[in-house]
Amino acid sequence: MWWGGRGQSFNIAPQKEEPEMGLSGPKSVQESRMPEPRSRRLSSCLASGCLPGEQILAWAPGVRKGLEPEMSGTLICTNLRVTFQPCGWQRNQDTPLSSEYDFALVNIGRLEAVSGLSRVQLLRPGSLLKFIPEEILIHGRDFRLLRIAFEAGGLEPQAFQVTMAIVQARAQSSQAQQYLGITLSKAGQGSGSRKPPIPLMETAEDWETERNKQGARGWRVSTVNERFDVATSLPRYFWVPNRILDSEIRRAFGHFHQGRGPRLSWHHPGGSDLLRCGGFYTASDPNKEDIRAVESMLQAGHSDVVLVDSMDELPSLADVQLAHLRLRALCLPDSSVADDKWLSALEGTRWLDYVRACLRKASDISVLVTARVRSVILQERGDRDLNGLLSSLVQLLSAPEARTLFGFQSLVQREWVAAGHPFLTRLGGTGASEESPVFLLFLDCVWQLLQQFPADFEFSEFFLLALHDSVRVPDTLTFLRNTPWERGKQSGQLNSYTQVYTPGYSQPPAGNSFNPQLSVWDWDLRYSSAQILQFQNPGYDLEQCPDSWLPRLQVKCLNFLNSLDFPTGSCCQTGRSERHNVLSSLGKAPHYSSAAVTYSPWLSLGRQMS
Amino acid sequence: MLGKGVVGGGGGTKAPKPSFVSYVRPEEIHTNEKEVTEKEVTLHLLPGEQVLCEASTVLKYVQEDSSQHGVYGRLVCTDFKIAFLGDDESTLDNDETQFKNKVIGENDITLHCVDQIYGVFDEKKKTLFGQLKKYPEKLIIHCKDLRVFQFCLRYTKEEEVKRIVSGIIHHTQAPKLLKRLFLFSYATAAQNNTVTDPKNHTVMFDSLKDWCWELERTKGNMKYKAVSVNEDYEVCERLPAYFVVPTPLPEENVQRFQGHGIPIWCWSCHNGSALLKMSALPKEQDDGILQIQKSFFDRIYKTIHRPPYEIVKTEDLSSNFLSLQEIQTAYSKFKQLFLIDNSTEFWDTDIKWFSLLESSSWLDIIRRCLKKAIEITECMEAQNMNVLLLEENASDLCCLISSLVQLMMDPHCRTRIGFQSLIQKEWVMGGHCFLDRCNHLRQNDKEEHQRQLSLPLTQSKSSPKRGFFREETDHLIKNLLGKRISKLINSSDELQDNFREFYDTWHSKPTDYHGLLLPHIEGPEIKVWAQRYLRWIPEAQILGGGRVATMSKLLEMMEEVQSLQEKIDERHHSQQAPQAEAPCLLRNSARLSSLFPFALLQRHSSKPVLPTSGWKALGDEDDLAKQEDEFVDLGDV
Repeated sequence: MWWGGRGQSFNIAPQKEEPEMGLSGPKSVQESRMPEPRSRRLSSCLASGCLPGEQILAWAPGVRKGLEPEMSGTLICTNLRVTFQPCGWQRNQDTPLSSEYDFALVNIGRLEAVSGLSRVQLLRPGSLLKFIPEEILIHGRDFRLLRIAFEAGGLEPQAFQVTMAIVQARAQSSQAQQYLGITLSKAGQGSGSRKPPIPLMETAEDWETERNKQGARGWRVSTVNERFDVATSLPRYFWVPNRILDSEIRRAFGHFHQGRGPRLSWHHPGGSDLLRCGGFYTASDPNKEDIRAVESMLQAGHSDVVLVDSMDELPSLADVQLAHLRLRALCLPDSSVADDKWLSALEGTRWLDYVRACLRKASDISVLVTARVRSVILQERGDRDLNGLLSSLVQLLSAPEARTLFGFQSLVQREWVAAGHPFLTRLGGTGASEESPVFLLFLDCVWQLLQQFPADFEFSEFFLLALHDSVRVPDTLTFLRNTPWERGKQSGQLNSYTQVYTPGYSQPPAGNSFNPQLSVWDWDLRYSSAQILQFQNPGYDLEQCPDSWLPRLQVKCLNFLNSLDFPTGSCCQTGRSERHNVLSSLGKAPHYSSAAVTYSPWLSLGRQMS
Repeated sequence: MLGKGVVGGGGGTKAPKPSFVSYVRPEEIHTNEKEVTEKEVTLHLLPGEQVLCEASTVLKYVQEDSSQHGVYGRLVCTDFKIAFLGDDESTLDNDETQFKNKVIGENDITLHCVDQIYGVFDEKKKTLFGQLKKYPEKLIIHCKDLRVFQFCLRYTKEEEVKRIVSGIIHHTQAPKLLKRLFLFSYATAAQNNTVTDPKNHTVMFDSLKDWCWELERTKGNMKYKAVSVNEDYEVCERLPAYFVVPTPLPEENVQRFQGHGIPIWCWSCHNGSALLKMSALPKEQDDGILQIQKSFFDRIYKTIHRPPYEIVKTEDLSSNFLSLQEIQTAYSKFKQLFLIDNSTEFWDTDIKWFSLLESSSWLDIIRRCLKKAIEITECMEAQNMNVLLLEENASDLCCLISSLVQLMMDPHCRTRIGFQSLIQKEWVMGGHCFLDRCNHLRQNDKEEHQRQLSLPLTQSKSSPKRGFFREETDHLIKNLLGKRISKLINSSDELQDNFREFYDTWHSKPTDYHGLLLPHIEGPEIKVWAQRYLRWIPEAQILGGGRVATMSKLLEMMEEVQSLQEKIDERHHSQQAPQAEAPCLLRNSARLSSLFPFALLQRHSSKPVLPTSGWKALGDEDDLAKQEDEFVDLGDV
């Protein structure tokens, strides 16, 4: 096979003899021509860890540097990932992914080749390597750094080959590329791992079940977007007020940015609702009827509601991205920040400021929704970033169900995945221009809550970290697509749907029975059962369980409401201090003062690796 | 009706007259009035404590913010403390007894705990000292333990204001007699149980036996001996009556320079290397005397430096490490971050919190202390060297560094008893000048500070360094200095490498050797001790959360395990086991906050209000869609 034909040295001929594979996995095509006689045995050994459909492009012996202890092993580049395989290390067949030695191609943020003390070349996809590297540095987007020193002495061609192979593989792989093989191989095993399965919110049943759970009686599941013709970024189903007709919805949604009209996010048992919608579409010219429809959808039966501009007081997408880049620079192992300047450097990234801003705003909203039983509409122009963040945080603050393992995963699935958060774009898959790790900002907010209320969450920090890491492991479509529509298209569900489309609630006959789609929530793709056990927070207070918590919340609310014996007009002149007291008196308000907002250890992970 | 030890105010506890222009809403005053008539609040006096002055109808702010809520009561100044007797003590439920200790109540400020006193005159805050011409409307007391009290004197009778303000100023700021300072009479009254088994009780190190026990415990008795040459403090008042020196050292040498220049044993490592400390010899100009000092020192030095069997490394803490002044300056800056008068101030400092923290350098000082201790640990553990800490009086940084080294190297010091014994050995018997460093006697305005482990440290007394380094004759000092200079010039890189290697190796090893514990000193790892510094700031508390939540969960679990264990035992022995009493301290307290158990009680009394910015209401406008984001205010919601 020719790699672009740029030079002899990295011209890798196809392997004539296929090496032996692992016990169960399908055979992968091994393409490597290594000079030494031992290579055949070695490469068969290497290939044993391959995923179905994975091809080894090149490999070279090397030494992992910068980490204690230094390890010699083999650097392997495949069409899916770069792996450093230490000598004698055996990949666990149950969890073929996400080992600390794997770098999915999409996770490689930066590749540098070093020769001598001064020659450093930054290798972009498609670059041509100008020298034989002594060392290469792979910077992961997840703050990891892999530093490999190649063995000298006649092996340079291999160093060159493997480096070029990485460059080429990055150029050829797209962000959207998935470890398809794993999905296939695991699909046969069924989704037994999800117990109970996390509803993917792709069927009307899922939405109906969730609606019942929340007790949202004034709402129904609308099927108006079943063919994604109202909005491709919206889920197929969503909740709308009972008495609004689908035709009205279709008309009303047209007046919102990208057709994202007001939908219910969460119904508070006290009666208030949390809604989200996009900005008003500037060019539209609604008639009186449309306006009435929009209005009644926004009000949803409440006499007064509060419209919150989600973008106000929160960082812009560009701010988030910049802060995250700065934070990454600070947390990378080669960060040059002196220990005594760490705090101001951290402050300088503004990342924690943004975390605080999110927590502050979310707790304000949750007071409004719970204590003051006021319906709130979150409005963001795109309705796909900060709205998801705020809506999820508010639910975490106000609904104990959301703090369980099941509840949290459903929440993320509903408010982020199904709601059309553009994961691929925001995580840098479609070019840098719109990259902005809003979801990681959300995870950091949740981590802060976990720190502040360690007995209130059923899941552990380990779980959050696993979720965080999964963002960079392209084994399922969850984080690899921008919209539910694209996700559906990929999994082939869409075709089966459109052919049998019937209006109303009728379900496509085949449904998900024939194609159990894997999602990020199938944890056994990436983690062993021992690791999955660690997702449970041992400090979780069983009294916090939803059943007993809810009434308590209401008592608290009542107490709180009794103290609200002031004219509402006085709302207008207050500072942050008093607002804070309000929240504290609720008991479950997050603290967003700097003293309370901690820097999370996972951010300093990179540093500690140094 | 007022018994012994209880003082009733003359005309005190009168309700305020309604004619006042009050910040407090009438209902509240009314409530207070009612409570006052119902309940007489009593002042708890310790044996021997005397009331000096008092004022009634003082309003203590719960938290000074725009709402100006407070509690009425009496402000009393005794010869031991300033006490506020609120009228709402009845609200204290059983839970809250947890928040008190036996001597000092929630609203008590011992006189030596007062840091600064401010008065507010026409909204302006001024430091109060000496004789006052004008008396303030409000008294703000900053305590050394970082509490802030605010007393409003607006409703207090003028002569009472004069008496209490000048009384408090006088009794807190005037130089004091030692006997007035502490609870000597109380302590005498309290039961004094002397116990001797050093395994279960704090070792006081006030007898030869205690030192011998410690020598034996650390296996230092091969090379070191306990001496009683300073019995009855005949040689030196600074040194303890008994201490430990190298075995070959003749005892009469101790007397030579009143204990200066003598290596005093602190602790022995499992491999035989020892940590020693030495106070520097007096500085002399005279060459003859210097010559004598030199030969004296050479002799002494040989007792601990006998290559190749024993090598000593000298750490000069007086000139090569933190200065006491540096520590003091940093702490003064640092503590200002926590002495918060009101929430506005809190949120103001909040914006730049991390850089403010950093600019105080306090955390960096802690890092440097830990780093120094790791360096010394490395010398002893990896290089098998004796380490001699040298300091002017060997009673400030010596105490700090030597206790840190022992905490890292000796697991015994990490038990409660072991830790108490360590403090006793290194700080109390080590002659740390607590009185001066904490400025308890108010003899000057220089101040004190405390280390992260709440061990009081040091105070600077600028000493003339001139002559100390006169190198033409000073062979003795050269000996020490030479080491230092050569270390700086030649081996500093090497030293740094040794340190780094040792540190990294230790941290990458899963198992510890001999219970060694090395702290992480990287930037992100040095943190603010929230319980100590933030406990009085209500804004920083997380109700029902923080580490305390985990801790209480853990206690609960242990309790459960214990009761299960008891049940098993019961079944096993088939006999009546004593009922598990398990009064879980942390349970059932709604007030449990992240800063328990040392935090001030939070009483939420201020009115909650929501902000307006960012909120928009939805009106009934017809052309809603056209209006874009322009909505009317949420006025009538």
